[in-house]
Amino acid sequence: MTAAWIALVIPWGGGIVLAILDGRRRAVGVAAVAGLAVNFAALVVLAVNVFGAEPLSVTTGDWPVGVGITLRVDALGLLFAALSSLALLAATAHEVADGVRERGFPGLALLLAAGLTGVFITGDLFNFYVFFELSMTAAYVLATYGGGRRELSAALVFTTANLLGTFVFLLSVAGVYHATGTLDMAQIGDRMDRVDASTGILIAVGFFVAFSVKLGLFPFHFWLPTVYTGAVPAVAAILSGGLANIGAYGLLRFGAEMLPRELEFAAVPLIIIGCASIVYGGILAVSRRTAGEMLAYSAIGQVGYVLVAIGVGGPLGFTAAILYTVVNALNKTLLFLTLRMRGALVAATFVVGALSVAGVPPAAGFIGKLELFHATAGAPVLIAVFFLGGALSFVYVFQVYQFEFWRSRPSGSRSGRPQQAIIAVLAIVTLSAGLWPEPLLALSRDAAEVLEAVKR
Amino acid sequence: MNLIFAIAASVLFGTGAYLVLHRDLVRVVLGVVIISQASVLTLIASGLVRGEAPIAPEPGKPVSDPLSEAMALTAIVIGLAVTALLLTLVLRVVDAYRVRDLHHVSEEEAQHEARLERADAGEHAAEEQAAR
Repeated sequence: MTAAWIALVIPWGGGIVLAILDGRRRAVGVAAVAGLAVNFAALVVLAVNVFGAEPLSVTTGDWPVGVGITLRVDALGLLFAALSSLALLAATAHEVADGVRERGFPGLALLLAAGLTGVFITGDLFNFYVFFELSMTAAYVLATYGGGRRELSAALVFTTANLLGTFVFLLSVAGVYHATGTLDMAQIGDRMDRVDASTGILIAVGFFVAFSVKLGLFPFHFWLPTVYTGAVPAVAAILSGGLANIGAYGLLRFGAEMLPRELEFAAVPLIIIGCASIVYGGILAVSRRTAGEMLAYSAIGQVGYVLVAIGVGGPLGFTAAILYTVVNALNKTLLFLTLRMRGALVAATFVVGALSVAGVPPAAGFIGKLELFHATAGAPVLIAVFFLGGALSFVYVFQVYQFEFWRSRPSGSRSGRPQQAIIAVLAIVTLSAGLWPEPLLALSRDAAEVLEAVKR
Repeated sequence: MNLIFAIAASVLFGTGAYLVLHRDLVRVVLGVVIISQASVLTLIASGLVRGEAPIAPEPGKPVSDPLSEAMALTAIVIGLAVTALLLTLVLRVVDAYRVRDLHHVSEEEAQHEARLERADAGEHAAEEQAAR
């Protein structure tokens, strides 16, 4: 359990200290990277202890169980926490290597890591909201990073849209508390069965809207293209590789564990929204010429697959949803970081990311798509939509590759070696996850087993 | 009592939603604040028992649910912080664009898009030319 405290307290305390210091100094940036590395290492140590064993649970402040806030460290939360931490670490190291431009950046990155770790390991519904708001607030400020007009207007859109999402979330929290009389996430799952169906659906819709706004699913995506194209590449990587995981995690944790009956009831609408997202994101991404815009619309399409897998449900569906979220976060972090970089190595890593998005072996995306096909084997319509989405993504990534790297006249100078090393490591992770998928598959299965709906 | 809470919260939410859809940035912020109040009110309304203030209850009388009030307090504090943040953001946008409504901001976005399109078409034409 010490590792859990380290994972939570180091970035939190470090973030507060670094927020006061001038982040443009190199030492502060390096300290932030070190803090994130400690956070990631602690989460990996926890994961080694928890995977294949019982989840850890602790009540904060030595309160009796049922009164204090519980932290619950299980396989699902840890997988998402480690994934987000990795994305944050890569993006922050990338930006520090380039030279931080604003004093707040390193501290905010650490605070975001603290918030995300908290969101993924808390077992209390209201505490989830507090950590959620902590990470969102750090992200709102991060979105202004760069300080140009485009960044500012993107941050304004991002903040307004996501604040509305969190207030809808709060409405559902109030609903859950009134209907079940508890805020403990494990107990809510048991007690929701006795709540009448119409109340349950209302609560579930609130949570769905809140998390869909985070994920940028099709009807709730309006803010996403502006923000992802307006923000600096490192921030876009943090938002899409780290922060967006809250959406997928929330849909899994709240849908499959706390509201399994409502999830089953809403399966068909979820699948339809997911398919709409896949097709919409794919078609709009094909029509874009710059890599940033293409990635923004691609992000809308890719989360559609996750939603369809959650809608399909069952052990296979949830495993596929978790695996695809992991793969998608890796792809997006890698590809966003390659924006505005030049050089042969950058082109090579872009190809690895592009293959992964398109789902072509040997990249990790292939394994993600394979699991999706596995989960939807009985539904020809879904397989057809996945093929269509896959074909569209193949077109858009390589179209942009051609525009960005084959057209001669490379603009700008070659990027520094440390930055190239970071994206190369990410590309190697993506490739090795595709070549040797067993560990990732086992992790996803373990994580899916945590969910209540799987146990039934 | 529940009905009064429900009506009040929905009126607040509706007013907030109306303001958020305005182009004036200050009104958008006000709309967000009012919507946050709607959710705080819902949190208070979600209490399981109603009665005396829980901080110093008289013995024998019913006490209102302290948990929902604690949640409402936390939500108010967080709401205050994000409102301050949002206002700062609006101030910086106003500073950068020298305007106070979204209309001008989106106009500039559109111009940026158009510039990108034109550059793209120009490059394409140049390539065609080179190929011949």
